[in-house]
Amino acid sequence: MKNLMRSGIFLAVLALGSAGAYAHHSAAQFDFTHQITIQGTVKSFHVTNPHTAAVIEVTDAKGTRDVEYEGHSASNFYRAGYTKDAVKFGDHVSILIAPRRDGKDGGFISAFTTASGQTIGFGGLSPSTGKAEEKAPGAATKP
Amino acid sequence: MAHKYAFPLALAALVCTAAWAAEPPARPDFTGIWTSYVPPGPRPPRTAGGGFRGPGATLPYTPEGKSRLEDYRKLLGPENANPAAYCVDYGMPSMMENAGGYPIEFIQKPDQLTIIYEVEGEMRRVYMGDRKIPPEKRIPTRQGYSVGHWEGSTLVAETTDLEDGIDQSSHPHGEDAKIVERFSLGTDEKGTKVLSYEMTLTDPAFYTEPVKTQKKWMPLVNGYIITYRCPDEFWLALLDARRAQLKAGKPADAKMSDVYKAYEAKE
Repeated sequence: MKNLMRSGIFLAVLALGSAGAYAHHSAAQFDFTHQITIQGTVKSFHVTNPHTAAVIEVTDAKGTRDVEYEGHSASNFYRAGYTKDAVKFGDHVSILIAPRRDGKDGGFISAFTTASGQTIGFGGLSPSTGKAEEKAPGAATKP
Repeated sequence: MAHKYAFPLALAALVCTAAWAAEPPARPDFTGIWTSYVPPGPRPPRTAGGGFRGPGATLPYTPEGKSRLEDYRKLLGPENANPAAYCVDYGMPSMMENAGGYPIEFIQKPDQLTIIYEVEGEMRRVYMGDRKIPPEKRIPTRQGYSVGHWEGSTLVAETTDLEDGIDQSSHPHGEDAKIVERFSLGTDEKGTKVLSYEMTLTDPAFYTEPVKTQKKWMPLVNGYIITYRCPDEFWLALLDARRAQLKAGKPADAKMSDVYKAYEAKE
């Protein structure tokens, strides 16, 4: 539990770095100013272009159900530190999402912690390393 | 013994010197993986998308350009739909903006500069030698057809044969647009290689005057391009449909039109 809380805090910090990560998805669709952390079991996790698609089984006050989330492109996932099969069917993951503005289930993945404890966030690409870096709030990165 | 070669060596040196004197200015090699330039020192506030224009910039649209753009924007709906989110390549000039911060690759040969943007593996060829596609064979595309020539150490590329570019993120244009780009190489005060770029878009249907913009790239250290492909959704859907047919003991003869119909039914 302590670990989960810690990862939640880490994800919240990463959220600052991905405030503008919605250029393919307009701010009208997802609320990047009120991101939340969800936890659940991976039903599917397709890291693909132009956007990643994930189905996570979540449980909350509304009950247990499968929820679809969208994410950055495969290029951005791999540059941010993702490796092949880092997230698999049945894994328990913690995901920071920008929720849908219409209040329905779903959202855009801003950062996540894998079952092995690796945290991956999308804060733009460092010009010197080509890897993800922290960016100022408002800086834009297209998924 | 050694001085036996002195005269021929001196002659060779003289010939080389004469050849150098007659040489045109050195042509830079743009080959490499590039990313948007970040000047040394504290980072300035970034503008949205890292593109050509800062927020609030306006362009000198003609009434026709403005009305076509307004009509197009009505189609984008509440989610402000973006062609790149539907695996449509950016086209010119947007592909040169590094939208989203993806790297861009330049491969230079004497007679051709090839430019590849990571997203969609979008590619341009700038023909610089005698080998050109005849005008009547140039099928209009989103990237257009580019011919390059050197002005000193600056490469000038002229692009025509463009498809309608109403959906270009920074510089929407019509199919008669002409784009002139200037590429040159230098270094900044830290010694970082800088590829400087200027673009002028001329399109009397859309703009009352030529529209200019510029940007800079720097090498992406140890950089590489990650293959970017979208799943071949309709093909995979066709295979699914045929799998279902085989399972039902029927011949696998579903057509693409069946797949499209299935999609239409879903919507």
